[in-house]
Amino acid sequence: MAQIFGYSGKILRVDLTTGKISTDETLKYKDFIGGEGMSMKIMWDEVDPGTKAYDAENKIIFGTGPLCGTGVPCSGRTNITSLLPTSPFNGVSSSHMGGYFATELKYAGWDMIVVEGKAANPVWLRIEDEKVTIEDARWMWGKGIFDTQAMVASFMGKEAQAAAIGQAGENMVNLSVIRTGASHSAGGHGGVMGSKKLKAIGVRGTGSVKIAGDRKDWMELDKFMMSIIGANNQMVVPTTPQPWAEFSDKSSRWTARKGLFWGAANPPVETGECNPKDMQSVGLRTQKAIFDLGPGAEKYTVRMGGCSHCPIRCHSQLKVPQLEKYGMDPYVANTCVGWSGPRGVMFNGIKDFDGHGEDSNIVGNAIGTTLADDYGVWCNYAQIGRDLKYCWDKGVFKRVLPADEYASIPWEKLVKGDATFLIDFYDRVAFKKGEFSHIGDGSAAIALRWGLGDDYWNDKNGKLWTRGGYPVHHSNEAGAQVGALISCFSNRDAQNHSHMNFIGSKLPIKIQKEIAGEIFGSPDALDPPNDYKPMNTFKARFAAWALKRSILHNSLTVCNWMWPMSVSHDKERGYRGDTGLEAKFFSLATGIKMTEKELDEAAARCFTLFRAITVRQMGDADLRAGHDHMNKWITKADKDKEGKEIPQFTPGTIQMTEEDMALAQTMLYREFGWDEKTGAPTRASLEMYGLAGVAEDLARRKLLPS
Amino acid sequence: MSDSTEKREGEGLLGKQTSRRDFLKYAGGGLAGALAMITLGCATTVRTREGRELRVWATPAGALVHDPNRCVGCKRCEVACTVRNDGKASAHISRVKVSRNLNFGVKGVSSAYAKADGQLGNFRIVAETCRQCEKPACGNACPTGAIHADRKTGARVVDARKCVGCGACQTACPWHIATLDRETMISTKCTTCDGDPVCAKACPTGALKLYPIAEAEKLLWGADVVSGATA
Repeated sequence: MAQIFGYSGKILRVDLTTGKISTDETLKYKDFIGGEGMSMKIMWDEVDPGTKAYDAENKIIFGTGPLCGTGVPCSGRTNITSLLPTSPFNGVSSSHMGGYFATELKYAGWDMIVVEGKAANPVWLRIEDEKVTIEDARWMWGKGIFDTQAMVASFMGKEAQAAAIGQAGENMVNLSVIRTGASHSAGGHGGVMGSKKLKAIGVRGTGSVKIAGDRKDWMELDKFMMSIIGANNQMVVPTTPQPWAEFSDKSSRWTARKGLFWGAANPPVETGECNPKDMQSVGLRTQKAIFDLGPGAEKYTVRMGGCSHCPIRCHSQLKVPQLEKYGMDPYVANTCVGWSGPRGVMFNGIKDFDGHGEDSNIVGNAIGTTLADDYGVWCNYAQIGRDLKYCWDKGVFKRVLPADEYASIPWEKLVKGDATFLIDFYDRVAFKKGEFSHIGDGSAAIALRWGLGDDYWNDKNGKLWTRGGYPVHHSNEAGAQVGALISCFSNRDAQNHSHMNFIGSKLPIKIQKEIAGEIFGSPDALDPPNDYKPMNTFKARFAAWALKRSILHNSLTVCNWMWPMSVSHDKERGYRGDTGLEAKFFSLATGIKMTEKELDEAAARCFTLFRAITVRQMGDADLRAGHDHMNKWITKADKDKEGKEIPQFTPGTIQMTEEDMALAQTMLYREFGWDEKTGAPTRASLEMYGLAGVAEDLARRKLLPS
Repeated sequence: MSDSTEKREGEGLLGKQTSRRDFLKYAGGGLAGALAMITLGCATTVRTREGRELRVWATPAGALVHDPNRCVGCKRCEVACTVRNDGKASAHISRVKVSRNLNFGVKGVSSAYAKADGQLGNFRIVAETCRQCEKPACGNACPTGAIHADRKTGARVVDARKCVGCGACQTACPWHIATLDRETMISTKCTTCDGDPVCAKACPTGALKLYPIAEAEKLLWGADVVSGATA
């Protein structure tokens, strides 16, 4: 076989019904880049419309891409694609996890794992380089994710990495995760593994990923990237004034400064000035614990963790001795919504409880995160807490729960902010105990089950974006129509940071608008925060670019929580980044020459195929009406203190209008060449992307727009 | 490539091994020539007045030391190492060993894993580095003399042209730092990258540093130890 670069060249296929293990070739899917793109192709080819998430016929695909394992900064991501249980039509969707699983899989010689069928008894998958076996997991079944990983490593050796489900996934709780390492979760697909009785995948790789280009060129490109990379979410401005920095912004995640420590390290490690020219301080820039949990978290911080080959460490790793009071180990880690999701269940906040005083919030967060991470419960991007609050406020629980069950729930703890409520809460959800546990079914399911109507979907505090049952995730509050558009296409929260890693950089808006002009053709692609203007074509171009880059990153696989490098901290570069870096790394890694434009076109092909799968699954080409519509709170004008409406597109409000968003969607569809009326891919657009077979299939089903 | 002009083939399996200090104590005949070899940086075998064979190693200039307190486990050191030295990305053959201890520490999985070293325990990350030993077990075990002291740095390096892929070095090293690349069947071990190690340059927190050998020995072995690999 000819030498393959970047890719490992092999896809592992496992049929749990028959026990058959086989090998497929990666490069026959190369038009779809890798990871999410290739997974969409496999889902299109092999999973029939009408298949449900928990059916044996559903497939779950663990995907890496050609940059994973090469050492490209921030390239440790695993993409997981399957049908999503929380989607009302079980739409295809992707979840992602960081950590070290993906690189280990590449070094074992596999680009992807495609799992289908359903085992008769619990099993786990053991991958040691080319040797793959299906192992008995009956003894693992019932264990939490931490113990499961330890058990896998006890069989395979300490070097092994594992991805596993907890009790929530086993019990097919819709809101469940697949998790690896200390704190890396892919939310939404845990139940799919559970339905297949697949408890875990262990992998150990002693091979390598070959790089096509000259090693000196590769090292130079890496050096360049390291010279422009920022802090978490590519924030390039420090929180506090620094001698090297022209700007500072209190809301930045570049929190490092003299006098700020990893306080529980022994001895404590000072984050320091972090001059960007000092490459040995890049990993100290983001002291995320104080950002996520407040200044009191500094003394609990052991270090910052993260993923393979990423110099930006965004996971706070804490020692919270108070956890031992609850029979938990004192070490707990996570980032962003990994903390705030469980915390959000405590919708009245966490108050002083059990004598923890001013540290109650941190202890409460640590309890919630420990429980969610070990049981493997997903928060649906913090929606589970908002759903709990809505149902509490509206008396839903009193209405739908049996009286004895209602009486057994320690509501008083929830109301007064005692975080030990979480112990009871997660036990009910993970083990599907009682009617209450259906809160873990997800928003669309509880709306149906508990009769939640328009008031639920249109509640502004509820933040539900569409009736698909998922919430905002950098939506209209992030770049006006750009963020709003981005949120309309996935079958779950958008998980898109292509725009955030630019407009969240904390650079002054004047500089951001200049850069937007260079990338998207006009500074009008970007509005200042809280000062929105009506839709224009440049915003559509920005949104399309963000959507393409997201699926590109999930295909390469690099982290869309850092990439693209649109901006930098470098004043000498005018704070410009380099949006062509993905193509440069791709070309050097694989030996397949691709320009930035060509790679974006390949990403558009992948995204259009995802769109086509959605059409076929819904059985309706009118996605504008049936899929992309937004809940009404988004387009409802705010009111001032006197109750008077604040007109949209005036300073101080971020609300959209129905007419403007309809125009925005039309413009976005146009960017991809889709039908402007329905938002469905047309025959011409599918053929343009090299998807003529897809067009034929949709035509046979009468699902091409007329 | 070894610069030794004296006996090399199979020398690691034969006579007693020694360091330069031992050599100066014991060596008799051929002293001037042997000293010249050591100064240039090499490994050589000489015979004492009593007829004993001594394997003599030049003193290395420095060695890498890892600080578990600062390490964030990104593994950029590992991949920088193998890209520079092997033209490919790998964890297993990296001369800096982070991956193998990442989740469960040096000692591996135990029932008390949640409080032990590693990302699934107390988060402490203990990497293992080549100590450029005074009496390198890897070099002394090599049956072909492929491992020698680099002329410039004194680092114990592998001559790929002489390596037969037997894995004796990997077995002999108490920390199993030398690693056989199963794709090339050639052993890999730390060269210190000609005294400018890319792993240290790639480390985003300054957890990996090249120290002068005397200082490195203190940090790796002595009262000033910081390396968790020693503990």
